[in-house]
Amino acid sequence: MEWASFLCENGPFHSGLVSSELIIVLVQLNINKISISLFQKYNESLTPENKSFIKEVVEDKYGPQAIIGGVTTYQQSPLKNEPMEKGTWFPGVRRTGVIARKIGIYPMWMNDGTKVFSTLLQVVDNHVIRYIPPGEFEPTRKSKKKIRYPNRFGCLLVGAESEDPQTFTKEYCGLFTSSGLMPKKVLGRFFVSPEAAIQPGTPLLASHFKVGQVVDIRGKTIDRGFQGVVKRWGFKGMPASHGVTKTHRRPGNIGSGGTKARVMPGTKMPGHMGNRYRILKGVEILRINTQYNVLWVKGLAVAGGTNSICYIYDTILPFRKSTEPPPFPTFYPEDLEEPLPDDIYSEKLHRFSSPTITFQDTK
Amino acid sequence: MTLISDKVVLFTVHKDCRCSSSATKPLQDVSESRDQTTLDARKGVVPPQYRFVYPEFLPDPKIIWRNNVREKLERADMLSRRCHVDIPEFYVGSILAVTTSDPHALGKTTRFVGICIDRSGCGLRANFILRNVIDHLGTEILYEMYNPTIQKIEVLRLEKRLDDKLLYLRDALPEYCTFPFNMEPEYLPEGTPVPVNPIKVQLKPRPWLERWERQNLQGVQPFKLPKRFFEKAKAVATPWEKFDLMKTYRSTIAEEEQSEIFSEVYSELHQLEFTRKKMKRKKMFIKPKKTA
Repeated sequence: MEWASFLCENGPFHSGLVSSELIIVLVQLNINKISISLFQKYNESLTPENKSFIKEVVEDKYGPQAIIGGVTTYQQSPLKNEPMEKGTWFPGVRRTGVIARKIGIYPMWMNDGTKVFSTLLQVVDNHVIRYIPPGEFEPTRKSKKKIRYPNRFGCLLVGAESEDPQTFTKEYCGLFTSSGLMPKKVLGRFFVSPEAAIQPGTPLLASHFKVGQVVDIRGKTIDRGFQGVVKRWGFKGMPASHGVTKTHRRPGNIGSGGTKARVMPGTKMPGHMGNRYRILKGVEILRINTQYNVLWVKGLAVAGGTNSICYIYDTILPFRKSTEPPPFPTFYPEDLEEPLPDDIYSEKLHRFSSPTITFQDTK
Repeated sequence: MTLISDKVVLFTVHKDCRCSSSATKPLQDVSESRDQTTLDARKGVVPPQYRFVYPEFLPDPKIIWRNNVREKLERADMLSRRCHVDIPEFYVGSILAVTTSDPHALGKTTRFVGICIDRSGCGLRANFILRNVIDHLGTEILYEMYNPTIQKIEVLRLEKRLDDKLLYLRDALPEYCTFPFNMEPEYLPEGTPVPVNPIKVQLKPRPWLERWERQNLQGVQPFKLPKRFFEKAKAVATPWEKFDLMKTYRSTIAEEEQSEIFSEVYSELHQLEFTRKKMKRKKMFIKPKKTA
């Protein structure tokens, strides 16, 4: 008897893990007794003994599976090679960024009672995979100017979210053999000064940033599909009544006529909207949780929907850069005598564990 | 919510139905055959009415917006806030008095008394609207439950009404929304179920803010409208919606998940409830009035 199950709402299926509550879509068609399952790994027809053997090998190489900081990963062994020298900070040096996942938005309140929306960004299992010094590294986006200055930044390849090597191809896993790391789902390049180079295999944590620091966040905007001119470009449209015929959300005039008797290139028209990388600059960090590696940033305009990947950098805005040296080249927990507290708050932010806000009579 | 047979449970599906699960029967208690881990043991201990007393602990059912880590952190923040302000059990239809710190008020505090007409939001965004008619002017204030400027929330009268939302009070006669600011709190004996007020409110003549005749309201007196309104309401009605199981499933949190969530926060909430009951008993004892 033919039957079809229901399709449940699901985010765009990309490399990110959504949540354990995802309902897997299973559409069973009884035509010629073929069953098609969507969103499943390729069926390699392994015997149960082979499957358990592969699992043993993976755990041998990368350590046992564990939940670290709220994320299922593998407890990986320490650095493969000898540690390299750490550089020293000076104003103007560019250090690495971090790959995070936007996990949600919720309100927080300042000490004067004003409400502020804060976006939560979780730094999921980041490791440095490779460093390419400036001499060897050629950025793919080259400037077309007459004078091209030699590239002064090295490239740091950072990966986020370890995953079982069985889900990737052999070629992709080859990227991680030199560092000895578990293959990562998400990769990102950060252009850093040579002084800020980091040993491959080093984990990057949320404490790479400080509370009160200003950052830039790059994310891919929500895919809105083919959209009209009113939503895409903010055109005003035409009135809903008063005799307007069949023209309520149309663009209206698209040319100037006369000598330029054509539609100019770049004219705003309906088309695909969203699914583009956009950078939000000048975002303040309000709070850091070191246990789950979560950053609370002020505002809710971070590009992307919930559970989407974003890249966090130190800000390039000149008047909002911090004058004090940040953890350089990154935060190493072994450098501190005492571990950092679980929750670090900005001074202006009201902690929920503090008593109720009251205002005093200034007289 | 009406039970018409053993198998089918019918109820209206609207946005804030997270707490109603689509299960037809309540989950069995943890049986002896299962492992007696602390979490399983706590799941059996958590009272089933927690989903109605603390509905904001349940997250928004929309799967795109859900994330385990964020929900855990949000719940931890909610509990830390509850340690500093007692947010009592209340329902839509209860009369509350809220004291907030206000930098522009005399004495730096503001107290407002009103009937709760709406309660919505998940997590730290949970809010409720209080309505009162002051000097012949209908006034509503939306309070965010976890706002740290709220000093005290008192329940003056704990009761439920026949409807989930009382937004129709905006079109009702003012006597149904007028409550004196010096109203004394009415205490219910411990262990009594929350009383349901079966009052039927009389609305002012049309025009109204919404088409109340189309909304299956139980707490309103029968409408005295021309026939065409009821014919149109019938034409526009969606009686099949209450049988739509998938819609119910999408708009609610599964019962298994609900028990997991509440077992996580149970011990702290239970502790707070205990201290609240102690304070209440003390207040009731001090209550005796002066004689002669």
